[in-house]
Amino acid sequence: MTNNGTRKILILPVALVALLAACDTEVVNPGRVQEEFLFETAAQEAIVKGIGRGVSEAHNWIGYTSAAISREVHPSGSTGSFGIQVEWQNGELDYETIGTHWNLSQRARWWGDDGIAKINETGAEDQKLLGEAYLWAGYAYRLLGENFCNSVIDGGPAGNRSVYYDRAIAHFEQAAALTTGDMATAAVAARASVKAFRGDWAGAVSDASGIPDNFQFVLPYHDGFGNPTLNRIQFASQAEPYKAHTQKFTKYEEYSLSENNPNGDPRVPYRVTDETGDAAVQCCGQVPWWPQDKYQDSGDDIPLSKGAEMRLIEAEAMLNAGDWQGATAKINALRAAAGTFAIEPENITEAWRALKFERGVVLWLEGRRLGDFYRWNRDNTPGGRHPLETPSGSQDVGSHLVQQDLCFPIARSEVDTNENIDGPTG
Amino acid sequence: MADRSFEGPRRRGWMGALVPVAAALALLAPAAAQAQDGTITGVVTDAAGQRPIASVQVHLVGTSLGTLSRDNGRYIILNVPAGDYTLRAERIGYGSVEMQLTVAAGGTVEQDLTLSQQVLGLDEIVVTGTAGAARRREVGNSVTQLNIEEEIVGPPQNVDALLQGRVPGMSVTQSSASSGGGAMIRLRGNVSMTQSNQPLIYVDGVRVRSEGFAKNVPPVGYSGRSNNDVSSPLNSIAPQDIERIEVIKGAAATTLYGTEASAGVIQIFTKRGNVGQATWTGQVNQGVARNLPFGPDPSLRPPSENPTSLSGGRSDFLFINPWLRGRKPMCDDPIVVEGQPCDSGLFSDMGAWQQDYAMSVGGGAETVRYFVSTTFGNDDGVLPNDNEKKLVLRGNFTFSPREDLQLQWNTSYTNGRLGHTAAGNNAHGMTLNTFRRDRNYLNDESFNAINPFLNQEITTQLDHLITGLTATWSPLANFSNRLSVGYDLAQQDNRNLRPFGFIRAPAGIIATSRYEFNTLTVDYVGSVDVALPRGIQSAFSFGGQSITERIEETTAYGEDFPGPGDPDVDNAGTTLGFEDRTRVVTAGFFVEGKFDFSNKYFVTAGVRVDGNSAFGSDFGLQTYPKISGSYIISDEDFWNESWGSMKLRAAWGQAGRAPGAFDAVRTFNAAGWGGVPAFLPSNVGNAEIGPETTAELEAGLEASMIDDRLTVDFTWFSQNTFDALFSVRQVPSLGFTGSQLANVGELANSGLELGLNYTVVRNDSWSWDLGGTLSLTDSEIISLGGAPEFSIGGYGWVIEGQPAPVIRAYRISNPDAHEDPIVVQDSVFGPNQPTTIAGMHTTFGLPGGITLAARAEYQGGAWMSNGAQAAATRRSVRWAGCFEAYNIWETQGYTALTAEERGRCDVQHYRSDFSIQPSDFFKIREVSLQAPLPDSWAAMMSASRASVTFSGRNFFRWVDPAMRTLDPEVGGNVGYNTRVRSMLEHVPPPAFYTFSLQVVF
Repeated sequence: MTNNGTRKILILPVALVALLAACDTEVVNPGRVQEEFLFETAAQEAIVKGIGRGVSEAHNWIGYTSAAISREVHPSGSTGSFGIQVEWQNGELDYETIGTHWNLSQRARWWGDDGIAKINETGAEDQKLLGEAYLWAGYAYRLLGENFCNSVIDGGPAGNRSVYYDRAIAHFEQAAALTTGDMATAAVAARASVKAFRGDWAGAVSDASGIPDNFQFVLPYHDGFGNPTLNRIQFASQAEPYKAHTQKFTKYEEYSLSENNPNGDPRVPYRVTDETGDAAVQCCGQVPWWPQDKYQDSGDDIPLSKGAEMRLIEAEAMLNAGDWQGATAKINALRAAAGTFAIEPENITEAWRALKFERGVVLWLEGRRLGDFYRWNRDNTPGGRHPLETPSGSQDVGSHLVQQDLCFPIARSEVDTNENIDGPTG
Repeated sequence: MADRSFEGPRRRGWMGALVPVAAALALLAPAAAQAQDGTITGVVTDAAGQRPIASVQVHLVGTSLGTLSRDNGRYIILNVPAGDYTLRAERIGYGSVEMQLTVAAGGTVEQDLTLSQQVLGLDEIVVTGTAGAARRREVGNSVTQLNIEEEIVGPPQNVDALLQGRVPGMSVTQSSASSGGGAMIRLRGNVSMTQSNQPLIYVDGVRVRSEGFAKNVPPVGYSGRSNNDVSSPLNSIAPQDIERIEVIKGAAATTLYGTEASAGVIQIFTKRGNVGQATWTGQVNQGVARNLPFGPDPSLRPPSENPTSLSGGRSDFLFINPWLRGRKPMCDDPIVVEGQPCDSGLFSDMGAWQQDYAMSVGGGAETVRYFVSTTFGNDDGVLPNDNEKKLVLRGNFTFSPREDLQLQWNTSYTNGRLGHTAAGNNAHGMTLNTFRRDRNYLNDESFNAINPFLNQEITTQLDHLITGLTATWSPLANFSNRLSVGYDLAQQDNRNLRPFGFIRAPAGIIATSRYEFNTLTVDYVGSVDVALPRGIQSAFSFGGQSITERIEETTAYGEDFPGPGDPDVDNAGTTLGFEDRTRVVTAGFFVEGKFDFSNKYFVTAGVRVDGNSAFGSDFGLQTYPKISGSYIISDEDFWNESWGSMKLRAAWGQAGRAPGAFDAVRTFNAAGWGGVPAFLPSNVGNAEIGPETTAELEAGLEASMIDDRLTVDFTWFSQNTFDALFSVRQVPSLGFTGSQLANVGELANSGLELGLNYTVVRNDSWSWDLGGTLSLTDSEIISLGGAPEFSIGGYGWVIEGQPAPVIRAYRISNPDAHEDPIVVQDSVFGPNQPTTIAGMHTTFGLPGGITLAARAEYQGGAWMSNGAQAAATRRSVRWAGCFEAYNIWETQGYTALTAEERGRCDVQHYRSDFSIQPSDFFKIREVSLQAPLPDSWAAMMSASRASVTFSGRNFFRWVDPAMRTLDPEVGGNVGYNTRVRSMLEHVPPPAFYTFSLQVVF
């Protein structure tokens, strides 16, 4: 072999090594969207709808679990994916078991604020769209305020839950200013509910008075399309696969419209079947499966604000002012419109009890009941709740609440990661 | 129940395909010799025991004439032209011998040959982990080599079964009875807490997919509407085609494989054919699979329980036995209803039928060698819809067109068709709904209620092509080049149908998915041998490698069929489409220098540098260095020959594991919201992310002593994974609820591995070999890098100072007290991976060439959750695993229950944590008896030799008594691709009993 030949022989491997080592490893994979694209105006509608979706996912979990704790529904077995965990069956909201609720609610809140900031930084192409973003973000704050014991904002320390109310009201004011039509009405109605929650009854009544009786603004849910947001309350109560909750052993068992009670209140309907839940529960074994019939499809929307709630805010304001007859009239007007019998309280305590019952009926399975329990307890209002909604009333029947936590604590997922929080709270 | 097996034209097509294949093989076989000039014959025996040796390649150097010795050691080479020859005999594990001889025209030369065992095999060639090939004496790290013909007696079902219990430091765990289910393989435990710990797989130098194939599950709804197990690409290789397997276990050995190699490398070498006349081999395996009991004996039931369920199910099979092949109730049992499959007596319900057929031919000349094979299997699973049909075709060709050039082209194609029964944690599944009896999703445990779950069709077709072309060019005596191009293409077609009228989805649901997994590898290695001063020999290697992995998935989904029939997605009222594509590119180069001092001291040093598309934009390249040394101490003058031979070795090196394709970038999901686009926060992103790097130091020795009767292989290792990719939990109130991978952690693994083999007896008629392996592994999370502790599922946690991962949960602190449980939060149970793995094996050589081999395995030290029990208890199911407790409760009263029994079995005290159990077990992995058939019998089949083998696998099991149900090897809903072992509602892997006939022509 000549030197020239040897050199040629050596060039080949060197070239091969260089070729292989120089391979371009820069790859952009399709699918997930990188953040830089969200600063384009064309992305703003998807940002706003994403904020709405975030609220719907959070509300889905809070609404279902709080319904179990407040015994709007009674567990009938399943504890897994769409079931009611044993701790929740017992009325316990432990900081280890509510991570999903906390995470989704915080994501909805953060994404609302971050999405609005992105739109403002880019320049809002459509003010109404920006207003819609404020509306969804406001509902995210209302959800947190009504259901969580403490506030945490953007990795900060734990604070009073009133922080959520304040921010909710500020967002609803922006929404009311930037939107028109139902969205603007919804913003005012939602602001009324938050003001009522914080005890600003004058402000609440002022806002509520402008909302028509038949107004309703809903949180959309979807079934059947890609990545649907199934209405969990409905999905879990279906025959297949879950049958996870029932109206048996709830206050609605004897009150509501059903095959057993054709004259029952049509606002809280359920079905009577000869089946039992998908498993068994400790208190009651295999429980008859009498599913709610308010949501008949897992794509059914969940009301967020409606005129009937406004009338009850007005009624509650009257009770706070001692006008129990006026409050009764407001309640009976609603009941008449619903086609059910009138109530006849004989004193203010009975009127309070009737109002609490009526709010349970009007806002049934809408994720509001636990918040009501909390504020009535906080404000030490007269008139108890139905025995089947309380631990003390469930000893010889089915509800079997060992305890009843009235708000969700800060989840362990936050406690473990947020350096500004020292330990469990709530 | 309709038969869901594949049948009809396709089966005929496959069988028909064998005909042209066989014809092609016949054409490849050298034509019968034209001139029958002479014959060489003789017997090959072992120098130590004078026992005949089978499968010795005996050939005439420089010709295409040769043969393999039979089981009685006899060989015969026909048609040898008159002349002078060099006769060479070779067999793995023995030193080769050469004899000069002369063949006269028409004459017969009788030439017996004696081979000496090379017990330590210091001059055997190993290729895995080295830049080129190296003699074992030169290698400073531990390499396990399995020579299949030498070491494997019984026919394994697949490669997973072949590896099970054979390699020190390796655990091979099959997670369910699902047909075609793959096995989790761990070498020296876990080296990563977030990335895969499955070793890389190479087949004849071609990188193939090492992760499992995709689960067959619809993309919409609960992700468990499936059989909930996955197949392994490793099992695309037919065990009969394998010549040897090399296993390297840690970063000290895998440095040259770079990024992705920290969990070890398994390299499979398939047969290439021997020089000589065509050797045809046929094999037929027939057998059955049936389950051992996996629940408490019915005699332990409480008084309130009947001996069987309404369908005839028994507690020792968690009431699923009416649907288990081989375990059905007797037909005369009055509980059996009309139409229910049952056992009518002898042979009617022996188990799931396993039938496999293989044929191969190999041969060639000095310039061309070939090995062509086909294997067809039709194996029923123990569950009613389970079946695996697998066809494997292989063609390996080696050409040497010039003295300095060799081309090797190896290709295999595997077609697998799988039918499955819905299992795992799945409300639509057979297993969950039988285990939970009348508190299932039907509230009914009768046969006719549960049986309709079988109407779900879960079928998978896998087409797997592995092809590689390697050119080895040696233009100079001291300079060689090897260029390999390999392509691994696997296509998976999943169909998952719940038909119209299905019991849990009456309107029907269908999903069909097409996956394509492909890996393109281009690999170059150059080696130069250089003689240095003072007699030092050196070899320098350098090379580069590019690996491009693509995964593409498209899925069509539909629900709501208009009516009965055999639908496709188009028939559905609602249809959806899904797509996912990822591509990851790795490119790198390396250099390595190897120095040989007096053929006694060896030092090797090298470095590999990698880039990877998943690295963050700010990261750059990753460098992995290595150095190793070996010392043949038995070659020293002071060494007394009677001490045997010994090699001391030590190695240090690094290898890595890359993050996922999207981990580096901040992303948002296009989630959609009722048909309009919607973004949701997804991944925080980390521009600085890089690979986690494992550094490993290992040292050990290999020795043979007592006249080579005892061999010892000992290794101590210490691994340290730094910049470990940990899932750093994000602060939820900052919007991103998931975790973000970051190079923040550090974890360590250390342990030792010991392999012993002792020849107790070896003489003309008898031999007895006895051996064992022991591996002890300890792991520890050294640092979380300031990140919070995090869960990786199944109660597996990553916590500083604890094993990786550790099982942590609530624990009952007063388990034996007759009172209510006192609960301690965040209690550490122990590691999730076994810390002790012990293997035992023995082989008896009996007169007449009969071989009896047995192998067993113990694994201990691990903890895992029995999720099936937890899910049942929290639903107040009368769980079979609690029968003993219920018995006490009913006969002696509640106060007689211990706190542990109350916590585990009474929902009043329930926590799913109380289902955490120790998972120690002992299994007899294999007992095989192999006997050669008399020559006269072989001759009746026109064969040169034949043998039969009876084998049983996994037919005996002991488990920790605390594990009252299932099996410690049972897995969860993601098949074997799991970071934390935990059990869900699966039927455990069954025992196999196989008869095999092998004929060589």
